[in-house]
Amino acid sequence: MHTEAIDPPGITWQRVSPKYVTVRMVQWALANLATVLVLSLPLVLVLAGVWAWPPLWLAATVPAVALVAALWRLALIPRQVRAIGYAERDDDLLIRTGIFFQRTMAVPYGRMQYVDIGVGPVERGLGLCTLKLHTASPGTNAQIPGLPAAEGARLREQLAARGEARLAGL
Amino acid sequence: MTAEEPRPGPAAPLPDAGGTQAAAHPATAHPATAHPATAQPPGPTDGEWLRVHPASPFIRGWVALAAIAFFFGRDVFERSLQGGPVFEEELAGRASWLLAGGGAVLLVSVLGFLLTWYFTKYQVSGGYVRVNTGFLFRQQRQARLDRVQAIDIVQPLLARIFGLAELKFEVADAGESAVRLAYLKIDDARQLRATILARAAGVAVDPAHPEQPLPEAPEYQVLSVLPQRLVGSLLLSEQSFFVVAGGLASVVLAAATDSQAFYLYLIPAGLGLAASYWGLFNKGYNFTAAISPDGIRLRYGLLDTQAQTLPPGRIQALKVTQPPLWRPLGWYRMQVNVAGYGVVENAGEGSARTTLLPVGTLADVMAMLALVLPDPGTPQPAVVFGAGLNGLDSDGGFVTTPRRARWLAPLGWRRNGFAATNTALLLRSGRWWRQLVVVPHQRTQSIALHQGPLARRFRVADLVLHTTPGPVVPRLAQAAAEVALSLFDEQSARARLARKRQTTEQWLRQVVPDAPAAGTGPVAGPLESPTPLENLSTLETPAPQQQEGGQHG
Repeated sequence: MHTEAIDPPGITWQRVSPKYVTVRMVQWALANLATVLVLSLPLVLVLAGVWAWPPLWLAATVPAVALVAALWRLALIPRQVRAIGYAERDDDLLIRTGIFFQRTMAVPYGRMQYVDIGVGPVERGLGLCTLKLHTASPGTNAQIPGLPAAEGARLREQLAARGEARLAGL
Repeated sequence: MTAEEPRPGPAAPLPDAGGTQAAAHPATAHPATAHPATAQPPGPTDGEWLRVHPASPFIRGWVALAAIAFFFGRDVFERSLQGGPVFEEELAGRASWLLAGGGAVLLVSVLGFLLTWYFTKYQVSGGYVRVNTGFLFRQQRQARLDRVQAIDIVQPLLARIFGLAELKFEVADAGESAVRLAYLKIDDARQLRATILARAAGVAVDPAHPEQPLPEAPEYQVLSVLPQRLVGSLLLSEQSFFVVAGGLASVVLAAATDSQAFYLYLIPAGLGLAASYWGLFNKGYNFTAAISPDGIRLRYGLLDTQAQTLPPGRIQALKVTQPPLWRPLGWYRMQVNVAGYGVVENAGEGSARTTLLPVGTLADVMAMLALVLPDPGTPQPAVVFGAGLNGLDSDGGFVTTPRRARWLAPLGWRRNGFAATNTALLLRSGRWWRQLVVVPHQRTQSIALHQGPLARRFRVADLVLHTTPGPVVPRLAQAAAEVALSLFDEQSARARLARKRQTTEQWLRQVVPDAPAAGTGPVAGPLESPTPLENLSTLETPAPQQQEGGQHG
């Protein structure tokens, strides 16, 4: 993964598992296919002659646009997954996400209040997990998805140990 | 138990036997555990279990009682006015049953009140405050005193008439108050606050006289807001702007359509507005700020009064704003994030609690800044903070949005900027709606850089500092990418250093960092030296010409 402009220089990012693409695709399918199907309903009804309104072009355009947008998002998923990275530094954990809307976040170990590991049904099948860090701020939306389970457990222990050593108040 | 996990600290004595017992059996509470005071041996640091004032359930439940009285009384009253019999003919035969039923309802509610009162007990001992409540579903809660984020004494009108007050003890879980004691006698509430603050500060209890009440810390009034200024600030507030605009629109519409109906819509709108203005006036009336060794004291309220105490170092972030209409008068408003206050749940109470200064001049703002940030971390605080409030471009050492990105913020690019002192990061924004956000380095939670496609095109990035929930959202918009990146690293380093200096949450025991005369180590003991005041003089007198001097048009 090449370093983007807002990434601190000299960081070697840890990548998440490529299998996380599958998880994202399942999520994508659940969200987008349902949307496209619902939006296609007027088209079917208009074609079947049940509905007089909306006009055919409108009934066809709306699901088509939704479908194109959905396919666009699908095409982005592998790159988005590749763009997720994390790096353990001496005093904080760096997390980066995004291609278009990039975000690089530094969470100091001493500020972590607790660490969550979540495993969804698809993730469980693939042996992945999602690690979430919580500080006293709800703005710290720090999560690393798509970690292999062993790496997630290792990271959790590591973070807990480092947090203990550098614990600060609020 | 609160969300705070107890952390073994050097100065925190272990909870006493009675408290541990109560906390160990939260579900299977036997009536005996409600009287731990009888079970535990009298130790030197044990506080006794106390109850709130017996009248408090009635003051809390007065609405219910008033409703019962209202529905019973209205009928009787109307009938007697009409000269008819008190009960209808067909009801008269059942009057005794009705009365019995009503009496039973009243009795049950009064009994419920009494039981609630009887089973609500509190205790301050051994570094903890404990509260037991409930008689069917028992709850036993303890909170560490040194984790206090704020203590409020609230007096609603009815409680004030009876000389009672509610004490709220906030810890950093941002939800409801950790401990609410309603109601205590006002003197008891003050005494309890003094005790809690003294224990939280780390004042050693005299072992010879453990029961001797700790004296309340002395305080020095810093500023007060005059009622006329408060009224003026309300009249010139953002809300008034929309009121005037809406009123004008209604008049124009009414004239254009020859319809009188628009005026009818103005009546409920006017009533709502009057209520809103009244709420703000009632909350902001007689606002005074004072400093004591226990922290900042804020007092305000016309009918319902509130006294807040913010111990030192509990303010997570601070915001100074100036709406355009206030600018000719040189007024500012200050709001803070405090971990215990959390997000604003209802606009009236919440926004009043997070307001550090409802309206004030530049001198007032500087005085309050000196309280919040006793060490400004710069040799020229008036210049730097003044530039943050009123300045443009590179006044006071601010770094602004680069010229190449001026089309992203055509108005604000000369004002969007940051400056870092040794103790805090200042984020400045808004050309018309001026805003200055101050985040102490040791209060930064985490930092993030954001960059969207458009920002990337202009090689700028946003820097976001995460802080506890509240009205202040620190965000540096459109900084040059390389500047943002270096600030990201520098700020991480500064926050790390500041965290290392902060050794304990018991503020009187904190090791004073890198002060020349700080060979003293832990400052434990009496409350006679108001340390924050020593630094007041550095900020107190901002040069008046600085106020408008930074504007270039």
